[in-house]
Amino acid sequence: MNIGLRKYFRRTMTLAEFEIRKLLHDQTQVWIRVVQPALWLLVFGEAFSKLNVIPIGNYTYLQFLTPGVLAQSAMFVAIFYGINLVAERDAGLLNKLLSTPTPRSAIVVGKAFAAGLRGIVQAVAVFILALIIGVHISLNPLHLLGVLLFVIFLGMFFSSLSMCLASLLRTRERVMGVGQALMMPLFFASNAIYPSTILPGWLKAIVIVNPLSYVIDGMRGLLVTNDLSKLPVDLLVIVFTSVVMMALASWSLKRIIS
Amino acid sequence: MEVRDLVKDYPRVRAVAGVSFDIEEGEIFGLLGPNGAGKTTTIRMLLTLVQPTSGSIQIFGIDAVADPGRVRNLAGYVPQDVSVDGELTGWENMLMYAQLYDVPSQGRKTLIDEAMGYMGLSDRMNDMVNKYSGGMMRRLEIAQTLVNRPKMLYLDEPSIGLDPNARRVIWEHIEKLRQEFGTTILITTHDMNEADRLCNRIGIMDRGRLVAVGAPAQLKTELGGDIVTVTAQSADCLSKLRESGYSIMAGPANGHVDVVMQDGEKQIPRLMEMLHSCGVVVESVSVKKPTLDDVFLHFTGARIEQGDSFAKVKQTRRTFKRLS
Repeated sequence: MNIGLRKYFRRTMTLAEFEIRKLLHDQTQVWIRVVQPALWLLVFGEAFSKLNVIPIGNYTYLQFLTPGVLAQSAMFVAIFYGINLVAERDAGLLNKLLSTPTPRSAIVVGKAFAAGLRGIVQAVAVFILALIIGVHISLNPLHLLGVLLFVIFLGMFFSSLSMCLASLLRTRERVMGVGQALMMPLFFASNAIYPSTILPGWLKAIVIVNPLSYVIDGMRGLLVTNDLSKLPVDLLVIVFTSVVMMALASWSLKRIIS
Repeated sequence: MEVRDLVKDYPRVRAVAGVSFDIEEGEIFGLLGPNGAGKTTTIRMLLTLVQPTSGSIQIFGIDAVADPGRVRNLAGYVPQDVSVDGELTGWENMLMYAQLYDVPSQGRKTLIDEAMGYMGLSDRMNDMVNKYSGGMMRRLEIAQTLVNRPKMLYLDEPSIGLDPNARRVIWEHIEKLRQEFGTTILITTHDMNEADRLCNRIGIMDRGRLVAVGAPAQLKTELGGDIVTVTAQSADCLSKLRESGYSIMAGPANGHVDVVMQDGEKQIPRLMEMLHSCGVVVESVSVKKPTLDDVFLHFTGARIEQGDSFAKVKQTRRTFKRLS
């Protein structure tokens, strides 16, 4: 069993490694993906800083917004990850992968982990941008490590969700469409750009079941408020939901072929 | 390998309808058939990618349905579609599969270099695969399977979409694999030349069934002789031939009628005499030894008039004879 577990882990890491190598070969998409979060920080953030209409306590609006944009940039990358799966299915890569002794769940976990690492690249870019425009955020290495953990699990959750969708929807266009339809509502029905306390009751309910809210809440504590009281709950929620989502994606994977 | 009564049902179609065959260790076995005959579905079941609806598969004494993990460890697979990653270099594609097949890191580099050298890719190892030609991608795919030293290799349409030169190179490599490593190879193809040139034995598949199994030469003999092609203007050429009890193969197409007979050369004068006496004006006659293409037509009836099967045409003809 111990050997089996080590093999499982090694195969997972292999799949993640080659996803990252692909990214290294073609870095343009990393830069393209930085544009949108940059706009949120530079345009939306700066504008709303001037308005002072959002009740956020003793912090500047940009401080409040930075963790939200950080999470958003990682999430937007992950939520379209299923498209890769469809592309690999179409190309015949997935069939060959499944004919190797690699367990299905190792394929899902490997790709999800790669999406998490991919999210870190985006998050680092947003973090640096925030520092450049002078946002006051924590530089405590332990806190930053915590943020990395959140970003990885966030990427794992949303990429698994996307792989699940890919297995059920089976075409690139549908995954793209459903991803688009999901991402903005999830972003707005969270505490990313305003505190959820200002939302009406039914929206608050969505915020509570939205894993993105917990990630942002945890990161906000680590980066801005230093209030770590809710950290264990936040971390537990995202770890648990991403494990469940990976299990679902492994289970549904067989539907994408045949 | 022992396959018995293999069946695969999909919601609307029965893709494979009870297929049984054996493959000997170290032979190249070809599944030949038109698109949609169930070849790829069969391969996928042998690879444990798809669960059979019923039937059994034994590979080197292992039950593939009960123990898919062990079967996968013995297998190498080159799918019909391009299955190398264009966004990685050739070497990285190799490394990924070496790692997934648990090739120990010690000696892995040498193994990959050797496999790539063996397939003639040494000078392009570090190029991105999306810069490779179709033939090079196929060779890389075969090289990928080599790191695992598979005992059983599955090649789904190995030369599809390749130019004749690249195709010849792939064939040479496949033959070399069997000679040097004793690998048992199953290929699917709809290319008669490929089947004739590569396979020790072939199985002809049509509409989910295996209609004939044997060595290419044996199947050609089974056809029952030479093929004499008669070209005539008269519309009743075909019916006259049928009335006289000749075995018609496929056609008529553009006034050609293919007749199967023993010792074609010797029989032509008699055939001419008969047609002449019936008032059929013959423009030309030719004789050829049957090719696998003819065998294929014989068993699948793909080109027989109105899409009827050979057996059905034969039956109609017999009925006609009895009535007249």
